[in-house]
Amino acid sequence: MSEKTKVDDINRNIYDIKNKDDYDFKIQNGINADIVTEISKMKNEPEWMLKIRLDALDMYNKLELPTWGPDLSELNMDEIATYVRPKSKLNSSWDDVPDDIKETFDKLGIPEAEKKSLSGVGAQYDSEVVYHSIKEELIKQGVIYTDMDTAVREYPEIVKEHFMKCVPISDHKFVALHAAVWSGGSFVYVPKGVKVDIPLQSYFRLNSPESGQFEHTLIIVDEGASLHFIEGCSAPKYNKVNLHAGCVELYVKDNAYLRYSTIENWSKNMMNLNTKKALVGKNAQIDWVTGSFGSKVSMLYPMSILNGEGAKTEYTGITFAGKSQNLDTGFKVIHNAPNTSSVVNSKSISKDGGSCTYRALVRIGEKASNSKCSVSCESLMLDGISRSDTIPVNDIRNDDVEFSHEAKIGKISDKEIFYLMSRGLSEEDAKAMIVRGFAYPISKELPVEYAVEMNNLINLELEGSIG
Amino acid sequence: MNKLLEIKDLYANAGEKEILKGLNLNINKGEIHVIMGPNGAGKSTLANVIFNNPVYTKKSGVVEFEGENINDLTTDKIAKKGVFMSFQSPEEIPGISGMNFLKTAKGKIIDKPVKIFEFKKQVMEYVEELNMNSKLVDRNLNVGFSGGEKKKNEILQMLVLEPKLAILDETDSGLDVDAIKAVSKGINLYKTEENAILIITHNMKLLENLKIDYVHVLVDGKIVKTGNMDLVHEIEKNGFKEFKRKED
Amino acid sequence: MEKLVVNETPVRTSRNFLINNIKLEGVEIPNKLRTFDSIQYFSENTKLEKLDKKVCLVYGNGKILEDNCNENSNSSIKLNINKKDDIKLKYNFDDNNLELINRLEINANSDANIVIEYKSFTDQKCFHNGIIKINVAPNVKVKIAVVNLLNNVSLNFDSFENELSENADLEYTIIDIGAKESISNYYSNILGKEAENNLETVYLATDNQIKDINYIAELRGEKTKINIDVQGALKNHSKKNFKGTIDFKKGCKKAVGDENEYCMLLSDDSRSIALPMLLCTEDDVEGNHSTASGKIAKDSLFYIMSRGIEYKEAIKLIVKARFNKIIDKIGYDDLKEEIFKEIDRRLD
Repeated sequence: MSEKTKVDDINRNIYDIKNKDDYDFKIQNGINADIVTEISKMKNEPEWMLKIRLDALDMYNKLELPTWGPDLSELNMDEIATYVRPKSKLNSSWDDVPDDIKETFDKLGIPEAEKKSLSGVGAQYDSEVVYHSIKEELIKQGVIYTDMDTAVREYPEIVKEHFMKCVPISDHKFVALHAAVWSGGSFVYVPKGVKVDIPLQSYFRLNSPESGQFEHTLIIVDEGASLHFIEGCSAPKYNKVNLHAGCVELYVKDNAYLRYSTIENWSKNMMNLNTKKALVGKNAQIDWVTGSFGSKVSMLYPMSILNGEGAKTEYTGITFAGKSQNLDTGFKVIHNAPNTSSVVNSKSISKDGGSCTYRALVRIGEKASNSKCSVSCESLMLDGISRSDTIPVNDIRNDDVEFSHEAKIGKISDKEIFYLMSRGLSEEDAKAMIVRGFAYPISKELPVEYAVEMNNLINLELEGSIG
Repeated sequence: MNKLLEIKDLYANAGEKEILKGLNLNINKGEIHVIMGPNGAGKSTLANVIFNNPVYTKKSGVVEFEGENINDLTTDKIAKKGVFMSFQSPEEIPGISGMNFLKTAKGKIIDKPVKIFEFKKQVMEYVEELNMNSKLVDRNLNVGFSGGEKKKNEILQMLVLEPKLAILDETDSGLDVDAIKAVSKGINLYKTEENAILIITHNMKLLENLKIDYVHVLVDGKIVKTGNMDLVHEIEKNGFKEFKRKED
Repeated sequence: MEKLVVNETPVRTSRNFLINNIKLEGVEIPNKLRTFDSIQYFSENTKLEKLDKKVCLVYGNGKILEDNCNENSNSSIKLNINKKDDIKLKYNFDDNNLELINRLEINANSDANIVIEYKSFTDQKCFHNGIIKINVAPNVKVKIAVVNLLNNVSLNFDSFENELSENADLEYTIIDIGAKESISNYYSNILGKEAENNLETVYLATDNQIKDINYIAELRGEKTKINIDVQGALKNHSKKNFKGTIDFKKGCKKAVGDENEYCMLLSDDSRSIALPMLLCTEDDVEGNHSTASGKIAKDSLFYIMSRGIEYKEAIKLIVKARFNKIIDKIGYDDLKEEIFKEIDRRLD
């Protein structure tokens, strides 16, 4: 039993299919005012949006790189094309999507999932959304689900009121970059009291090498409404670094509910520097479910700001880092109102020299009396060449709180392995079963198809796919 | 061939500490054996060493099962040969449901996929026999089970996996009267002329409803006396003092 | 007047989280001091020796304060403990001894029970910047308690550093009650196989007191152990930063690290930040940490008050009960009493 079992790398076959870098237009590499203006012009944007972009560019130039976290020195903005327009316009039928692009999404199972279990789908390929659809009955109820460019044109007042307001452009350098060159993404508006029972999903695919994806997701769930939104991301692997700096802004109004699920499986040349934030109203709730498997470097800390009395949030996340991956993930929550509560459940697995960091902030503010927060954080080390760090900050500014935080780090218990082996499981199977059990609290939060995808991703099929 | 387990002159250590010191034991089909002994005599070590728990090392001697040397087989291979061990403190494994686990283990032991419908039906029958809460099999394996529930769950696994030899390591310890009854019912349900049981205990209650063939007294790593049920009663009366003195 | 940035964490995190270090404005760091001559020393077997060499720290409170200790100290002591001993060392601040910059090196070659106390016998502002470096030899067991009872206008900097050899056992108790700002850095290099370090701290901050606590334990040897237990209470406008790092270094197979921090919030205006870090590059280890903050449980309060004890007394009782487990480890009854009296006084 002393010999180490090797848990296989995630099977990336489907994700790694590269299409020819056959774009309609690719902007010159690097970033400056001309490039930003050109992107805006090509999109026929109103003046106010161009102004946001140029202000953001100024901010980008002013802000420094973070002084903490993973090394970002491999990222050279001069080598990254911030805008790549695919050879496809926006379609509402898969039949109209060009064959090579459609094939990619077919293999990722998106149209299939749409038929079976989704009430709307958006699909982005490089910088533009190539497909968007929503079920008729939702339109009748006043639900809006469209790409961001369309939203800027058709719902300028709503976009203007919310765009980069939840996440200010000064938040950090990559938010500023995002706001300057953003393209694509989804816009969702769920009117008061409307419950969307079946999830909406947006899928983001980056095909073009040496490029960046900067999609913007803006979701407003109005008072008393509810929604489950899923995002998936992937890219084939190239030798040079790609950049993903998306931004997700979520407005969960009073008494509303939003569940935001993410399965992130970027290729291992991706710098994933994503920003996600939710403003949560009175008695409203935002739940995050996040699986982070891909990318070379990730810095991703979804944030819930509980502004309304009685607001709630739950974060359930798993991070799996293998060879040459440095995944720095976690969660931030700010309690700004009385009777708010948060629950954090984070797991990580490190193997083959991969590095996982759980980085977090819990802040319970002066006004948040009678608030509760409980954090649980578990890290599994599958070998002795990997790394696992836990860096949680707990900032408590109110005495009327119940706050607790627990973290554990270690390897799979020898006793558990022996117990399972005594029932006839091989050591590999026993370890796989324990790891799968470890990840179960997260996979059970995902819709069935995604739980299956996740189990495939971790390659934890019991029948000996590990060895 | 009737012979199931044969242990010849077994020496084994836990770390640096010598625990088994020349142990001999034969178990044939159809037999129920009992091993009794004071704390620290090596009773649980014996069960774990048979199963090649990596915490222990065999120094010398042979463990044979059905005439084959199983000294160096890994734990899972030994299980697949048809040996079962009921753990003194069963591990809690989060995230894996009891039913799924049983199904997986059964598939490994019989080396072919399990027919789910029939399998579930059979499991649920045993669950009823053992007077277990039927919801337990859907819960995570042993997680949050009471001591009694854990032990019943071990017996359930024994019934489902149908081993040739079942080693019950202190299965009765810490159980109330009803739970001991359920365990002993499970043992009678399992027992045939084709299989055998080795019960490790220092409690007499469990033995009352069973037909015991041999009773062994294990003191300081060796079997110092073998007899029948009378020996149990003798120990019940006088404890192990007498056997210890013999050793001195 | 200087702006000091001290007590850096071993790993940085976002600046917005306000915990990477602590910045102190307008600190006057004294130098060219006359000898601190208000020291009491009790020991059977160990003599006070003068420490001549510099003490170089792995962490400490930053270069400025470390240099200050090495260049301007007005008390430099070395204790070579070669025979089992009980040692008491008291630094009594008074109107003639308001500033102490000290270096203390302890080489424990034999078991010892040590108490070190910093106490104000004056209402004037006291300044303390000190280093305590302990080397624990193989198979030696050391118990040490460091007690800070400086008055509430004082400024206190502590740098503790230890190195543990094979099978060494170090029990450290820190009682951090005094000073307006008390900044303490603790670094333990747990090097030898099966060495064990137990660190227990009690802090209490009231009024405008600030506690900045930065503990770092590096487990390097096989089967080493660290246990950090921090119990505190905050009242009025006080503020506490607790940074505790357990770092499992490559090679520390079968090491175990536990860290537990509990902060009782006695008032709406106090503020508690905690950063309990686990860093790990070895798989065969066990690491756990937990932190919790909150008000004193209403049930306990109710129970005690139902026995006729008034609210304020009940709070004191509960706080002291929580601290008692740690304070009790200090072998000297008079000192224990003094600490409890001080806690009572501050909670009034």
